[in-house]
Amino acid sequence: MNPNFSHPPITKTRTICGYCGVGCSLDLLVRDNRIIGVQPAMDGPANEGALCVKGQFAYDYVHHPERLTHPLVRGADGQLHQATWDEALDRAAAGFTQVAAKHGRHAVYGVASGRTPTEADYLMQKFIRVGFGSHYIDNCSRA
Amino acid sequence: MSNPLSDMEKPDVIFCIGTNMTEAHPVAATRLKKAIARGAKLIVADPRRIRLAEMADIYLPIRVGSDVALLLGMAHVIARDGLYDLDFMSARTEGFEEFLDHVGQFTPTWAAGITGVPAADIERAAILYGSAKPGAIFYTLGITEHICGVENVQSLCNLALMTGNLGKVGGGINPMRGQNNIQGAGDSGAIPNNYVGFQPVTNPAIQAKFEKAYGRPLDAEKGITKVTALDRCGESIFAMLIDGENTVVSDPDQQHCVHALKSLEHLVVIDIFLTETGELADVVLPAAAWAEVDGHFTNTERRIQRVRKAVEPPGEAQPDWWIISEIAKRMGMKGFDYSSAVPVFNELCELSPIYAGIDWELAESGQYQWPIPYKGHPGTPRLHETEFTNGRGKFSFTHYRDPAEVIDDAYPVWLTTGRRLESYHTRTQTGRSQGIDYLLAEETLEVHPEDVHAWGLVDGGWAEMSSRRGTVKIRVEATRRSPRGTVFASFAFPEVPINQLTGSGYDPITETAELKVCPVRVVAV
Ligand code: SF4
Repeated sequence: MNPNFSHPPITKTRTICGYCGVGCSLDLLVRDNRIIGVQPAMDGPANEGALCVKGQFAYDYVHHPERLTHPLVRGADGQLHQATWDEALDRAAAGFTQVAAKHGRHAVYGVASGRTPTEADYLMQKFIRVGFGSHYIDNCSRA
Repeated sequence: MSNPLSDMEKPDVIFCIGTNMTEAHPVAATRLKKAIARGAKLIVADPRRIRLAEMADIYLPIRVGSDVALLLGMAHVIARDGLYDLDFMSARTEGFEEFLDHVGQFTPTWAAGITGVPAADIERAAILYGSAKPGAIFYTLGITEHICGVENVQSLCNLALMTGNLGKVGGGINPMRGQNNIQGAGDSGAIPNNYVGFQPVTNPAIQAKFEKAYGRPLDAEKGITKVTALDRCGESIFAMLIDGENTVVSDPDQQHCVHALKSLEHLVVIDIFLTETGELADVVLPAAAWAEVDGHFTNTERRIQRVRKAVEPPGEAQPDWWIISEIAKRMGMKGFDYSSAVPVFNELCELSPIYAGIDWELAESGQYQWPIPYKGHPGTPRLHETEFTNGRGKFSFTHYRDPAEVIDDAYPVWLTTGRRLESYHTRTQTGRSQGIDYLLAEETLEVHPEDVHAWGLVDGGWAEMSSRRGTVKIRVEATRRSPRGTVFASFAFPEVPINQLTGSGYDPITETAELKVCPVRVVAV
């Protein structure tokens, strides 16, 4: 029996590596809301227990101090300033509405990501199609 | 990929072209190594003597941008020696007689003149692949990032069609997808020509289906690609929403790209770090990262896999689906009242014929590879087993053409670009991982030792490299991975913005940038 109760328990979450298209399965080891390690999944259909150096070690960016933690909005001084979600979202929305009103609905363009989950990509294209009736949407596969 | 990853262990002959698989897709490369250990033969075509080339039975060091010539030369030999699969061609393809005629003109000697590879090696490679039962082709961006990217892929399809290596265990044509979910981005309709599930926007019945689903009229014409949109910034494009992409560093011709984004009236960037692109934005919205959201990635073998939230996002960061929906709702759009990622995914599945057989619950197991046309369908690990999507397989009558820019007196050296194992794209992620900085601290320019000497450079010293678009300073590394007259660098480091040099041309059909070929001048500093 471990008498040391000061350590919170380690939880294990099955997910997919976020680095390349092989899509290796892995388990994230988490304690205190921090990833402390990665275990390859032996039953991962793409990797069967293998992981490369990126999948195995390159996860600490998630907890990097430079992560964006609040919205930023460009002020009259030309600098980006911290803003509330309400301010930032209203500003984002108003900008698209204004540009479409001034230059037409084909003046707005969307660029989705090849790294975010499919749900994010789906909503990016839906945003453009529902918002502007155009197909002015692409992702980064061309670069 | 036409075939599942597990098939990688099964071919008799493996033909890798334009793929640095041991660096870009290491775990997949492990499977190829198993096939080789089992006795499979390996053909590698690549301008650089990459690690895979060291493992090859036949290594074809082609000049950058000469792939079509090599593949036509190989098709010529397969036709000439009767190594084709007549039964397959008769049953599954059309126009094969004309194709066999077409390749008659492209002799190995002709191909040798363009590629710089000895004709005898082209013959050996063709005979080895042509005799394989089965033979598998693997490629990545070394094939597509050219002005002739479409012809490159078509030329590979020709080889697989004429030898009957499609729809077979251990065969196929297998592009290895780079980014983790680039497949999912295409699947979900985030492209200018297709709705979700590759349903063409120009098809009136499909247009009607989505007008109903999305509750508004929709254009009957395709949209424009990102490349075109960047060209039109400040002229006809005035606002952009960019999700999680460091456009400024990853795109070719960086100066042009910064200028384009600066000329917008409104730029909104969603990302996990304040990237070079975010610095130009009017609004930057903090996203939850990998490990902080639930959703799906689709991998290179079309397998739909669940990603799970393991930790809380920092500060006020939110999932992308929430951020995009909030902007939409504030603009008065209907249909964005999502409570989580679950209904988003289920809506996507309902609208997509290739995901129709699954939903959030069913996808949980990770066992499905699309197409999954209806509930109860097991998914499709291997494409084209009994028929092609559009009926019979069609040969393409490809021709070789020169890259957009070729070397001359002013820019006498070929620069080719690529990825390195330890870094990922523009290093927004890996650049902030401690262990990774240690493994790969700075970018270098790989130069053949004899060129280092001939050009007055010093191994470990600095060089200035210029193209028609810009100049960068970079450290020199003498290595025989580079052939004489060709140098290599990756675009992983913002401090060495290689993409200020590239961007000489685009494939006219896909508008993929020719990142793999760029004439440069290299001088010591
Ligand atoms: S562990 Fe390596 S090979 Fe596997 S998905 Fe991640 S980056 Fe790709």
